[in-house]
Amino acid sequence: MFSQVLTISRFTIIESLRNRLLLLTILVIGISFALVEFIGDLAITEHRVTQVAILAAFLRMSAVVMLTLFVVSSTVRELNDKTLEMILAMPIRRGNYYLGKLLGYMYIALLVSVIFSVLLLLYADSEQVLIWTISLFLELILVVALSLVMLFTFNQVPSALTGVFIIYGASRIVTSIFLMAKYPIIAHTSVAQQFMDSFIELLTWLLPDLHRFTQTEWLAYNTAEWSMLLPLMGQTLIYLLFLSFIALFDFYRKNF
Amino acid sequence: MHYNHFLHKDRPVSDVPRSVKILLLSALFLQLMWHSFQEPIVAKADDLPAPLSTRTYVLSSLGEPIAASKFLNLWLQAFDNQPGASISFHQLNYPRLTQWLDTSLELDDRGHYPMLVAARVYGSIKDPDKQRIMTDYVFYKFNENPQKYWRWLAHVVITAKHELKDFDLALKYANALADETAGLDVPYWAKDMKIIVLEDMGQVEAAKILVGALIESKEITDPYELNFLVQKIAVLEEKSLKKRQSVEK
Repeated sequence: MFSQVLTISRFTIIESLRNRLLLLTILVIGISFALVEFIGDLAITEHRVTQVAILAAFLRMSAVVMLTLFVVSSTVRELNDKTLEMILAMPIRRGNYYLGKLLGYMYIALLVSVIFSVLLLLYADSEQVLIWTISLFLELILVVALSLVMLFTFNQVPSALTGVFIIYGASRIVTSIFLMAKYPIIAHTSVAQQFMDSFIELLTWLLPDLHRFTQTEWLAYNTAEWSMLLPLMGQTLIYLLFLSFIALFDFYRKNF
Repeated sequence: MHYNHFLHKDRPVSDVPRSVKILLLSALFLQLMWHSFQEPIVAKADDLPAPLSTRTYVLSSLGEPIAASKFLNLWLQAFDNQPGASISFHQLNYPRLTQWLDTSLELDDRGHYPMLVAARVYGSIKDPDKQRIMTDYVFYKFNENPQKYWRWLAHVVITAKHELKDFDLALKYANALADETAGLDVPYWAKDMKIIVLEDMGQVEAAKILVGALIESKEITDPYELNFLVQKIAVLEEKSLKKRQSVEK
């Protein structure tokens, strides 16, 4: 079973290399470097903090977008080319296929995280960059799993991408929205407002707390500590299991 | 048909129906006519708008408040350079400017960028009313957090003294700098600015009494500060003597 998983993950990695994903990553690095150096020249003070804050936010978003696009488009291509059906016609369990894909995409997420962190070393403390990189890797694992869930649910690139970006965006800001709802400027008295407050609170229970991940503050003000990674790993593991079983639930129900 | 026809990827232009060619040219002509009836594009400088709430920027930056703060700093700094137009700081709405600086500080409370631009950029224009708005803003922020903002209040003491030529205002800020930073990690030159201001105001006796009281209080433990105060009292004594001698003459 494990050899099947490893074979599928190996071919996933080979596909990413052939699709020049790493080349795209390096291109993003080049653009980021030019952008950040220009921004550094604009700032009249706090050059390093300004550069690192904008660079970290840009790299984080770029990593999420790149990986989502790659995961969704390559899996849709397998669906449309009937490659997936051919694989499943062999004695390969669907669970093994999913696990192989997940492992392969996790390896790519690790490569993307490491490549992006190299640029950050020019502007931030190395220990903080290392903690940030590990956190980004954990965040990208969740993005990969979410992309697979959306794809198995919708089967179409636009719908899957929209679903991923909506849920990812909501996970990033759900804590802020919850605080806004909990401490409003004017008290919420109507039934509709109270329903919305309850719905938002429900979302905080269902969505991962991504605002704790990959914080720019770590790089800007050197506030990260290794102990901060433990709850992030815990959240990643639990939510990865949750997303994986959702994906498998949909995948096993599919008729090819 | 010649075999060349099949070698090229696209068909020749003659294969396009005449109606499509005529309608294409007509559509191009229509676009040019439409554009000619539009108002001419003229550079027009926009006024500084009011900032949105801090939470809006947190949400729109997908939970990256520090990056949003830095981006806002740069946007505000470059606001005087607009497409085809350049506006001077004199034309900026200064009360609204302080709202933007507040928003930036709320997004990143560890940043000093807004205070630097308030004290040294927007506070350096040759418009006393607008300079006072900025100096009062720095004073207001200092009172919120003296440990964090003392250095900017020191800047505006200089601004009040040398640019606004308002010694009473400079003394007010210098007094706050001394009183609110007692026990805090603030260098002595900042805490003792009120002595310099009093001296420059010609209130030599008051400055002398202040320095003497500081030395006698035994609160000053920094040897450099003690040395400065001892030297200062000697200078003030000399000034006081010269003043008495000139009055007697």
